Amino acid sequence: MVISSSTAPVVTGTGSRRAPARRGPSRLLRTRWFWFAAPSLVLVLVFFVVPFVLNVPFAFSSWSGYTDVISFVGIDNFAVMWERGILPNALLVTVIYAVIAMTVQNVVSISLALALRDTNRVNSFFRSVFFLPVLFSPLAAGYIWRAIVSSDGPVNSVIGWFSPGFDFAWLGNPATALFTVAFVDAWKWCGIATLVYIAGLNSIPQSMLEAASLDGAGAWQRFWRVVFPLLAPAFTFNIVTTLIGALSAYDVVASTTGGGPGISTVTLNMAAVQQFGLSYFGTASSLNLSVTVLVVVIAVPLVAWLRKREVA
Amino acid sequence: MSAVTAASARRRMVRMPGILKYSLIALFAVPWVGVPLWLMVVNSFKTQGEAAELSLALPEQWAIVENFSAVITQGNYLTGLRNSLLVAVPTIIVVLLLGSAAAWAYARTTSRSFQFFFYVTSLSILLPPAVIPTIYVLTTLQLDGSVAGYALMMMGTRMGLVVFLITGFVRSLPLELEEAAAIDGASRLRIFFSLMLPLLRPVLFVGGVLLVITVWNDFFFGVLLLKTSANATLPLTLYSFASASTTSLRWNLVFAHVIMTSLPLVITYLLAQRQVLAGLTEGGLKG
Repeated sequence: MVISSSTAPVVTGTGSRRAPARRGPSRLLRTRWFWFAAPSLVLVLVFFVVPFVLNVPFAFSSWSGYTDVISFVGIDNFAVMWERGILPNALLVTVIYAVIAMTVQNVVSISLALALRDTNRVNSFFRSVFFLPVLFSPLAAGYIWRAIVSSDGPVNSVIGWFSPGFDFAWLGNPATALFTVAFVDAWKWCGIATLVYIAGLNSIPQSMLEAASLDGAGAWQRFWRVVFPLLAPAFTFNIVTTLIGALSAYDVVASTTGGGPGISTVTLNMAAVQQFGLSYFGTASSLNLSVTVLVVVIAVPLVAWLRKREVA
Repeated sequence: MSAVTAASARRRMVRMPGILKYSLIALFAVPWVGVPLWLMVVNSFKTQGEAAELSLALPEQWAIVENFSAVITQGNYLTGLRNSLLVAVPTIIVVLLLGSAAAWAYARTTSRSFQFFFYVTSLSILLPPAVIPTIYVLTTLQLDGSVAGYALMMMGTRMGLVVFLITGFVRSLPLELEEAAAIDGASRLRIFFSLMLPLLRPVLFVGGVLLVITVWNDFFFGVLLLKTSANATLPLTLYSFASASTTSLRWNLVFAHVIMTSLPLVITYLLAQRQVLAGLTEGGLKG
């Protein structure tokens, strides 16, 4: 109420017909906007902003399921997680996971977008096919790929044609488990990223490609010198969304390795759920806060840098 | 127009004949989509022992009815379906409705405080939600562990993306229609329901698609917020069903559950795939 009256001064003059065109809203339409924004704003404040802010004190608190007293314990939660090796391992695993998922997803979806760029019947069919994995939950995707790469699964069978008796546990080996799990994450989301890239490609004027062709640019040069720079907005969007999604990874890990072998695929959120399961809510919060810090430290400068590249 | 298509067709022919190109795409689609889906479907029809081999062959002994009824009787499927619907349907309706009301306000005002609200709301797209303190908030509201509390958390954290998309869309709409309606004496509420909502249909559709995909499939927040099996959504019932056998997964049953969990979304997609793909392609980049 206070906000609506302070931000939407009711001007009782005339001229409401001419004034608005440039400067935005007509004064006629300007009163009581607050009540349109308020319900959505309340939901965002109570269920996103308040928990987000509370995460900071909780990460430095002794909140647990074993006592009713919540006291401030300084950096103890982080120190304990660090000394036990949980935090440094989870940070490393999460960053590697995110980089692999982001790379695989964007390489595959740019290639698919280039192949399926024109809108025709066959391409629509393939776009539809490649979109199917998006519909499955990351959890389900994890189960499906756990079967595919299991020692009796199709991947080993195919390799077995060339190298008889091939029997490799992709998820049982620390070196390949993390890569495989991150790959599943990329697989699950490729369909949407492809559509975003197709939209980006279709916004590039044909005449620019024709001009580059006439100037003697080959396909490779046309892609790197013309298409790729003009694809920048789509590129920014996909890189950032895949990165943020992958930094919060949990679901795929839960259904493929559960964090193993050992702790080689324990992401930050996986570690947070484990601490939560032990009723250590304070340490779980500290791991949760680490995800936020990672996103801020990695994603925000990345957005700024990619945006600058868009303008240039 | 025809010159452009002719030129692009010529270039395509020079670069790569269509048949070769599509063979390559099909060759890629087989392991990328075909094998995973086929493996899942065919093994959900097999007996447990046969499914353990994880082969792509047709079943020697069919066990369709046994497997899918086991999902319903042992897999807590109907409870999961009910809870998933209880979360997804209200979340989508509330977020789209309240989100477009707020987005309309943000797009049509220039005041500082509204811009600030808009940025705070949009920030929830970038920053990961803090789930554990959410439990504290829900406990305070006495909604801890309930489906309602989980749904409210979903609404609060998914609102940002929808508001962001719709605000961009409203800004691209001309102001004249709203002004004309106001001059004709329509109330703001009336303008919203009978003018704005119909105009927003394309972006509401895109928002709805993104919402249903993320809300229906969420597992992480559910694990932390929904405590009892009576409140479990489908991904949670799938997880506890799969984890029930400690030694190795009963692949026939796991796949049957995955199919039934994903089926509502897949059927909806198959019915509306053209609109979904077109909507996401055109609407995806507006931000």
